[in-house]
Amino acid sequence: MAYVATRGGARAIDQSERLYRAELGQIDATRVTTLRQSLPNLIDRVMGEASLYEPDLAALALAQTGGDLYEAVLLLRAWRTTQPRLAIAAPVLQEDLITHRRISAAFKDIPGGQILGPTLDYAHRLLATDVLQGRPYTPTPVEPAATPAPAHQPSLAAWQKAQGLVADPLREDVAPDAIPDLTREPLLFPAKRAHTLQSLARADTGGMLALGYAAMRGYGNAHPTVNELRLAEAEVRVTHPSGTVFSAGRVKVSQAEVTSKGKSGQLNLGFCATLGWNEVKVISGATLDLNAAAAPKGSPVEEEFFLYHTEPVEASGFCIHFKLPHYVTFQSALDALRGAKTAEVPA
Amino acid sequence: MFDRPTEFDHATLLDVLARADVARLTALAETLLPQLQDVEVLHSRTGLVMLPMRDTVKGTDFHLGEVLVAEAHLRAKGCEGYGMVVGRNLEQAMAMAVVDAVASLGQSPEIQAFLAAESAEITARDTARLCEVEATRVDMETF
Repeated sequence: MAYVATRGGARAIDQSERLYRAELGQIDATRVTTLRQSLPNLIDRVMGEASLYEPDLAALALAQTGGDLYEAVLLLRAWRTTQPRLAIAAPVLQEDLITHRRISAAFKDIPGGQILGPTLDYAHRLLATDVLQGRPYTPTPVEPAATPAPAHQPSLAAWQKAQGLVADPLREDVAPDAIPDLTREPLLFPAKRAHTLQSLARADTGGMLALGYAAMRGYGNAHPTVNELRLAEAEVRVTHPSGTVFSAGRVKVSQAEVTSKGKSGQLNLGFCATLGWNEVKVISGATLDLNAAAAPKGSPVEEEFFLYHTEPVEASGFCIHFKLPHYVTFQSALDALRGAKTAEVPA
Repeated sequence: MFDRPTEFDHATLLDVLARADVARLTALAETLLPQLQDVEVLHSRTGLVMLPMRDTVKGTDFHLGEVLVAEAHLRAKGCEGYGMVVGRNLEQAMAMAVVDAVASLGQSPEIQAFLAAESAEITARDTARLCEVEATRVDMETF
């Protein structure tokens, strides 16, 4: 591919940016706060894909880009590079999650029970058009139970491992600062599992859904059933200079396991988790993880295929770069076309 | 259920300070600040904390993503104080560091009362949410 520097058009470029920003109008703290409060699911999606947890900054990125998700993720990823890394927290363990929603589609009677939590799964999808007629929509309040749900729920996978239903591989202890990190090293294949899961955690939701859905429809090796889905809060456990470990606060996380019957007489499991609450993303990601093991080269469920093609900043950046001047490339193609046509004409 | 020993261990003290009401924490820090002499601020900054998670299938630790935090670290005559909170509120982190520093010299009744009250409020908030969550517990029947 050939690139060429172009010159000129500075005024038009300046005015085009002004035109874009003029349509968004003035951005102030009130707009940012309103976005953060009214669009928590979108904020979560942007934070997950940006791999940066800070709801106010995610809301600001959405305000500045008029809701263009790829531009918002790019802004946050770029801003993230201005910040020093201060620490690596203690690993989040499933049994320590403060669980708000936890369901299984595979097992009805799971240890700890099924808790629907906040969801529209069983709701009618009706547009509240009365709002546009000046009649506000006010949600009906929850009728709380007399006793609280346990903050922590047991792990279904751990129970399945104890029952011999799924494999229980020996795990290797890795110090937090030795965990492979995609922000510091390239993604190489075959990928380390830590790279695969980190890459899925920050992947594009839409891209993961498209490829995960392809697997669900039959372009994969295994049909998924949700083994366990959780929406939860995780403590960010850091270390005081004296050595005391404490929680600096909580962040929202989601995680999914999907399962299918394996050939070894056990169940196979796929896993995915992300920052924020984003069920479609983690179910799709777990489906891709489940299918990756036996995937043929070039299939949508092959690890290299889905990890490369769901990286939101690289994918969207490559897509939109085609808008930029390609005159030399195209001129070359045009010359070749004209040359071929000239050669076809008898002298 | 809110009965606690009057002395809070260091981890609980820090847990509570990080989730305490920001306005009340800042007000407490302002009243305690005169007890610290020759305060040297080592850090007052925002930065990132990488958050690892353990995969439940193969037990692999991986990085879930980074969390923006505010950090404050100070040194005063005879003590150090440290604060780190999720978010970007530097004033909140500094207030936490001030209370941590003063508490390291001895937890006064004022600090203990603050911690007890904030701890009770945090517990009440969590309990209220978990009562709402419990209301969504479902017992599916199959036919």
